[in-house]
Amino acid sequence: MRYELDLFGVIVPSFLLWGVVAYILTRVAARVLARAGLYRHVWHGALFNFALYVCLVAGLSFISRELVS
Amino acid sequence: MKSVLNALRRVSLTTLVVLVAVWAGYKLWDYYMNEPWTRDGHVRADVVPVAPDVSGFVTDVLVKDNQPVRRGDVLFRIDRARYEIALKQAEAVLLGKGAQLDEANADLKRYSALTPDVVVSKQRLDQVIAAQGEAQAAYDQAVADLNLARLNLERSEVRASISGVVTNVDLRPGTYLTTGKGVMALLDSDTLRVEGYFEETKLPRIHLGDPVSVRLLGADHTLRGTVESIAAGIEDRDRSSGSTLLANVNPTFNWVRLAQRVPVRIALDPAMRSELVAGATATVEVLGLPAHGGPSGTGEARDGSHPSVCRAVQAAFRARPQCG
Repeated sequence: MRYELDLFGVIVPSFLLWGVVAYILTRVAARVLARAGLYRHVWHGALFNFALYVCLVAGLSFISRELVS
Repeated sequence: MKSVLNALRRVSLTTLVVLVAVWAGYKLWDYYMNEPWTRDGHVRADVVPVAPDVSGFVTDVLVKDNQPVRRGDVLFRIDRARYEIALKQAEAVLLGKGAQLDEANADLKRYSALTPDVVVSKQRLDQVIAAQGEAQAAYDQAVADLNLARLNLERSEVRASISGVVTNVDLRPGTYLTTGKGVMALLDSDTLRVEGYFEETKLPRIHLGDPVSVRLLGADHTLRGTVESIAAGIEDRDRSSGSTLLANVNPTFNWVRLAQRVPVRIALDPAMRSELVAGATATVEVLGLPAHGGPSGTGEARDGSHPSVCRAVQAAFRARPQCG
């Protein structure tokens, strides 16, 4: 789990999971932020979303490194 | 004025998030590309291919598959009949040669007592001396043959040369074995270790004595170890020798190339070795401090007897961008 993920015998780096989870989180966060009206204060929405995604994927990756056994 | 402020706020918020993303992305890149960890690690052990020193049918197999053995234990026996007969033959030959030697010695003693050139010719005396020498040589030869026969008989019992575990044993009595043909693997349990195949680009961050965490594929806990040694050399794949023994260098050089991998040997705590299976896959992460003092840094890491303190120091260093 920390380094790799076993998908029915196919072992892939856990980074794949963090990438997917971060994508879902970004979509959810974007929806929540849009409802809260934050995007009025955002310059380029797509750039902001992409930056958010990178932050989340890196964050998840490093948090998992410290916490997931 | 308000619209300018508004625009400034929009640009600054987005820029801030983008800058954080750039920093996070850099850290992520550094972790995956440069940090000394690899999923390409394997458990390894030294293995003796057990082979008989004499040919013959197998009569007894005294070990089971995956059985631990101690040095000197008999693993299997080869049919002794032929070697017992050979031993008897050698003993008989030795007796014969002994008798001939006795006779030659007696002759020599007898002739030596006679006065040369008067009672016995010089030629005859020389012949007797030569005959005694030949008989002595034949006797020594017979002694050596006897010892060889004894050795062959002894070697019909194949023994474990080291303590370890015999594995891949599918030998059955009746199998005909020839000298030197390997029949089972004897794995030296004391040499079980993990080898991480690190990309050469990661080597600068690996030092002897660095603490290492090893995660076996499928295991839910990590093993602790230290970097024992780094391979002194790997094969140069772009170079061979021609028939004239001159260097033959591959004329193509790739625009795109991959980092080669260098084996790094990880010593594990002996208590942890019992659960290891040689050949198993492992993820190896070197937990060394960032290279700021070269070998002196490794000394600190080795002396750090408190793992928690060590981890805290690592975390502190990790938070900063690494210069190494």
